[in-house]
Amino acid sequence: MKAKRTFYSERIYPLLFMFAVTFFCILLTSGLHLATQDKAITNERSFTRRAILNAGGVDFENTTEGIEEAYQSKIEEKDGYYVADSENGKRYIIPVEGPGLWGAITIMAGFEEDLSTFSGIAIVSQNETPGLGARIEEPWFTEQFRGKQAPFTLVEEGTADAATEVDAITGATRTSEYFRNLTNRAADDAKRIIGGE
Amino acid sequence: MANKLLRKTFMEPLGKNNPVFVQILGICSTLAVTNKLQNTMVMVLGVMFTTALSSLTISLLRNHIPSRIRMMVETMVIATFVIIVDIVLKAFYPEMWKQLGPYVGLIITNCIIMGRIEAFALQNKPMLSLVDGLASGLGYAYVLLAIAFVRELLGTGSLWGYQILGSWWTNWSIMIMPPGGFFVLAIIIWIIREKFMKEAKND
Repeated sequence: MKAKRTFYSERIYPLLFMFAVTFFCILLTSGLHLATQDKAITNERSFTRRAILNAGGVDFENTTEGIEEAYQSKIEEKDGYYVADSENGKRYIIPVEGPGLWGAITIMAGFEEDLSTFSGIAIVSQNETPGLGARIEEPWFTEQFRGKQAPFTLVEEGTADAATEVDAITGATRTSEYFRNLTNRAADDAKRIIGGE
Repeated sequence: MANKLLRKTFMEPLGKNNPVFVQILGICSTLAVTNKLQNTMVMVLGVMFTTALSSLTISLLRNHIPSRIRMMVETMVIATFVIIVDIVLKAFYPEMWKQLGPYVGLIITNCIIMGRIEAFALQNKPMLSLVDGLASGLGYAYVLLAIAFVRELLGTGSLWGYQILGSWWTNWSIMIMPPGGFFVLAIIIWIIREKFMKEAKND
């Protein structure tokens, strides 16, 4: 800069400039955040509710409204768990969280009335390796728990047939193990929290 | 004259001054997000948006930014645009936002953006800086998409989530894991430098 260095140009101006830039940037981002906040919250709630419906084996239309409608009419919220009124009787759904390979995995685990047969599983959140561990989100993996009973043993991908066997994911052995532990714990939790009252 | 300059500004980041295979910038995201085409596409669109607009903004402010705090101002501007991308994804593409997770926020640390601002936007007019930012983003985009194409195809036998190769195909798991990124990136850099950049090397 060719201008001569004064106290103002060296100390005050940079401070004022940075303050102005910061003020403007924060105004912009917080404005946008507030404008989309409702939508973000709706999305988040919709994700959780869809997971509960999936775990309970309730049929629904996969849109925000469809999820909302099915949830309002079929799901009853209890303390720490949910009761679904499905076509095949009552189902009990509990949220379970446990460690994964990179971060926590949260699932909704649904049970038949006997509290030991799974009616379904749905992932709420996970941070596993995309393409490997993240395949726990794929339908073939979550669907296989339906009608099975914990404690589970892992077998090679594509070979599970007994009622306590589940397919592991090739290339994601650790994630599969964490997931098995999580589902086993879900079954214990269900007996303790829902059955023990 | 002006047109020639514009053309040069646009073409250089695509070819002989490519941010990825010549300057070797932005490598962390190159390795991190290229195991699926869909994620890569969203990532490169985010980066293009951010480089183009932050170059433009900084260029508009370039005569007013005190040089001793210019890096703070640059980071603030970049962060603002990245947060805009994050908020928009979260509100309108929640599934994609969930999959990308922390990577969107990490666009801030992509060296290409800061690099283009420091090397170009601070000395050039706004329009030219916008073109430079956009072209750098494009230069980054096509290399990443090429890598993602190879990794997703070999790693999962599918493209854009659709199964392409039949059941005879055995997935190369290593391709979707981090080492796969290193292999494919290195091979692509090697091929491009050997085949297309012979004369540049002898300069």
